[in-house]
Amino acid sequence: MDARLRRVNKEIADCKNDRTSNIRIELVDNSPFHLKGSFPGPEETPYEGGNFDVDIVIPPSYPFQPVKMKFITKVYHPNVSSASGAICLDILKDAWSPVLTLKSTMISLQSLLCSPEPNDPQDAEVAKHYMTSKTSFEDTARYWTEIYAGGPGSRAAKVASPGARDEVAIAGLDPQHVTRFENLGFPRNKVIDALRRLNYRGGNVSKITEDRVVEELLKP
Amino acid sequence: MKVTIKHWHAVAQWRWDTGKSEPNSDDSEGDVCGICRVPFEGCCPTCKMPGDDCPLIWGECTHIFHMHCLLKWLGTAASKQQCPMDRRTWGMPTKFSLVAVPC
Repeated sequence: MDARLRRVNKEIADCKNDRTSNIRIELVDNSPFHLKGSFPGPEETPYEGGNFDVDIVIPPSYPFQPVKMKFITKVYHPNVSSASGAICLDILKDAWSPVLTLKSTMISLQSLLCSPEPNDPQDAEVAKHYMTSKTSFEDTARYWTEIYAGGPGSRAAKVASPGARDEVAIAGLDPQHVTRFENLGFPRNKVIDALRRLNYRGGNVSKITEDRVVEELLKP
Repeated sequence: MKVTIKHWHAVAQWRWDTGKSEPNSDDSEGDVCGICRVPFEGCCPTCKMPGDDCPLIWGECTHIFHMHCLLKWLGTAASKQQCPMDRRTWGMPTKFSLVAVPC
């Protein structure tokens, strides 16, 4: 049997037999080289209570090449792209080692959620939010966990009525700020986009003039 | 009583002398190559026969792998010539004595 296949099958079995780590790995289709992993959000973080799904692709020269992983579940985190789920983590790139396994790599992802590295961001806007106001960042991350990762707060209700999702909270903004610029006659979604791009949060608010926001809003 | 032994079969087992007295006592991963996850006494995925044709290699850092697996890793640019376990530059110990022993 092919070495890569043998190792991957072993790793999948290892995860199944291990009940302590909470890492789950399942097949996506008939191939053992395309998998879906999931783990619970770490405790005492804004991700607590959520369940995070990860898309896993085993490259042809595994384990000499790193496994490819990205989040399927949307995550609000400086090192995860809020749009694509792409992950910035050294062991998935140049710090890979062939002794790392699917399980140990998934555990590293879980611990990345505990310790964001805003200085080496994957999502620059989220990283700016984190650095401007950690409390506000955590509120937004918690909200994302609730609506996308099935975190505390009823998931079923939110999914059933996506319109009920609070776009302002998803963007991590203050509803009062959004209303203020909406009252100038700009559409709500445009205001949300502009304020998010400008990182109109926390201590930044006093630094950004109203004119600057209007200028951003008038951009085509 | 007199017993005459007409014939007998000898059974021998071997394992690599990795310096550990008890192989595989509680840690189930203790005796596999970290790269291919096959036991040291098996052979690397490219070999068919375990034993002297598929030896182990052991670095200054005391980490042990199937030689073929380790050389394949060191042959990639990504390895930066480092041990997969501790990322220290791979080096061979001055005294190299890894032999198969009967057990």
